[in-house]
Amino acid sequence: MSLTKLEFERFTAFDKLTLELSPGINVFIGANGTGKTHLMKVAYAACDVTKTKMNFAEKLNRVFLPSGRSIGRLAKRNKVSTTGAAAVYRDDLKIRVSFSNRAETPESAKVTGQPDWLAKPIESVFIPVKEMLSNGPGFRSLYAQREIHFEEIYADILDRAYRPPLRGPADKGRKKLLEQLQKAIDGKVIVSNEEFFLKNKQGNLEFTLLAEGIRKLGLLWTLIQNGTLLDGSVLFWDEPETNLNPKMFGALMQIMLDLQSAGVQIFVATHDYVVLKELDLRRENHHEIAYHSLFHDDHGVVQCKRASQFLDIDPNAIAQAFSDLYDREVNRTLGSGAQ
Amino acid sequence: MTVFTEGNLRISFPSGTNARIFDDASHGLSHCMKAVDFVVDIGHQYLFIEFKDPDAPGVPENRREEYLKDFLAGRIDKDLKYKCRDTFLYEWASGRADKPINYYVIIAIDTLTPADLLVRTDALKKNIPLRGPRNAGWTRPFVSGCAVFNIAAWNKHQRRYPVSRIQ
Repeated sequence: MSLTKLEFERFTAFDKLTLELSPGINVFIGANGTGKTHLMKVAYAACDVTKTKMNFAEKLNRVFLPSGRSIGRLAKRNKVSTTGAAAVYRDDLKIRVSFSNRAETPESAKVTGQPDWLAKPIESVFIPVKEMLSNGPGFRSLYAQREIHFEEIYADILDRAYRPPLRGPADKGRKKLLEQLQKAIDGKVIVSNEEFFLKNKQGNLEFTLLAEGIRKLGLLWTLIQNGTLLDGSVLFWDEPETNLNPKMFGALMQIMLDLQSAGVQIFVATHDYVVLKELDLRRENHHEIAYHSLFHDDHGVVQCKRASQFLDIDPNAIAQAFSDLYDREVNRTLGSGAQ
Repeated sequence: MTVFTEGNLRISFPSGTNARIFDDASHGLSHCMKAVDFVVDIGHQYLFIEFKDPDAPGVPENRREEYLKDFLAGRIDKDLKYKCRDTFLYEWASGRADKPINYYVIIAIDTLTPADLLVRTDALKKNIPLRGPRNAGWTRPFVSGCAVFNIAAWNKHQRRYPVSRIQ
């Protein structure tokens, strides 16, 4: 059962916002500060608690890491006292958290719907912008024992990546995905003493020596191999384009489409035209993609428009950047040879 | 106003503009030289204008998609380059080509994005080429500027010479 809807009221960047989600790929685009990462973190926290059974408010606090760990700071900033709220839906199931902007601890937040929500666990993974596998050794124990200032998504991604491989042979779909990735990274990922290596004909290459693009694909390989990304899982990926050569975007987007075909619900936030265009060019009729364009309206309030086709995205902050460049290029040409 | 048509497309020039259909029967050398659709003398420069219309009514959908793929992959670039180059040679040998030349290609596909047009414009500039060899730039480049448009982009930037589809 996939996530179907997100609702926010006076939560971080949002005044009031409802997003209807696709069971397939949800692409979030928009300028900085429109809340793309925030909404993915909320949805991820709601998924994660179904496995860990942690209180939803506590998990939110850990993935957002507000200053002083005061959950009230996640309420949209206002001079008067206010209440922030976020809700995540899976069809009829709903989990909701609300809290005063003066709330200091997650315990003072009100969570509703959690018992029913937890009854149906959902596997999920959040791939943050910063690559973590190369920092893996020792990080988890450090995070568990010390108050280090890292959002919990960084520890969580390592937890997922360290899971041992699934027992038994991979089914056809999973095998195909793993082979695609092995071809792209020219090897397989192994873990030794908490350290990640790419194993290929040359031997074992530690992740710290690999290009970041290879590390990203290696992470995907690991998550598919150990069953984190399977039919029914939810993948959140914040700016997959970061530190990746655009030539690799095609392979990455193809894997994303194949994961969707395999039943993985995907949330991806991007600033990159090539990511959008690769998805558009590679999608087939059976792929389900929803583009969510976040923008500030004339009053500075974050709004969202949904489109199912690349060309219908409006406003399209990424295309607008190209439009400006194109206009300047043509104006320069028109100016050349002028009297 | 002077109005020319090319297939299902129409371009208008203000009265008095010295515009010619270049690739008609009077060209006479179509067996060995490629040709752009129109050559326009706008006083301080010549415009070479080429239309490509895969969106024309009657073009089968698969041909249109094929053309779009070829265009985006740069497989049309060579044809666009030779059209411009041969037109220049023809004009030069005719004793014209005596002013800077701008080469404009209008690809009448509505769905082309600014990014697509920007990438193909850059590729065309490189292929013509606009500049001479790296260490010895040309003092007399034969094309001073070029750009790829779709109809909307053309009409936004070239309001004096509007292009429209014949209904």
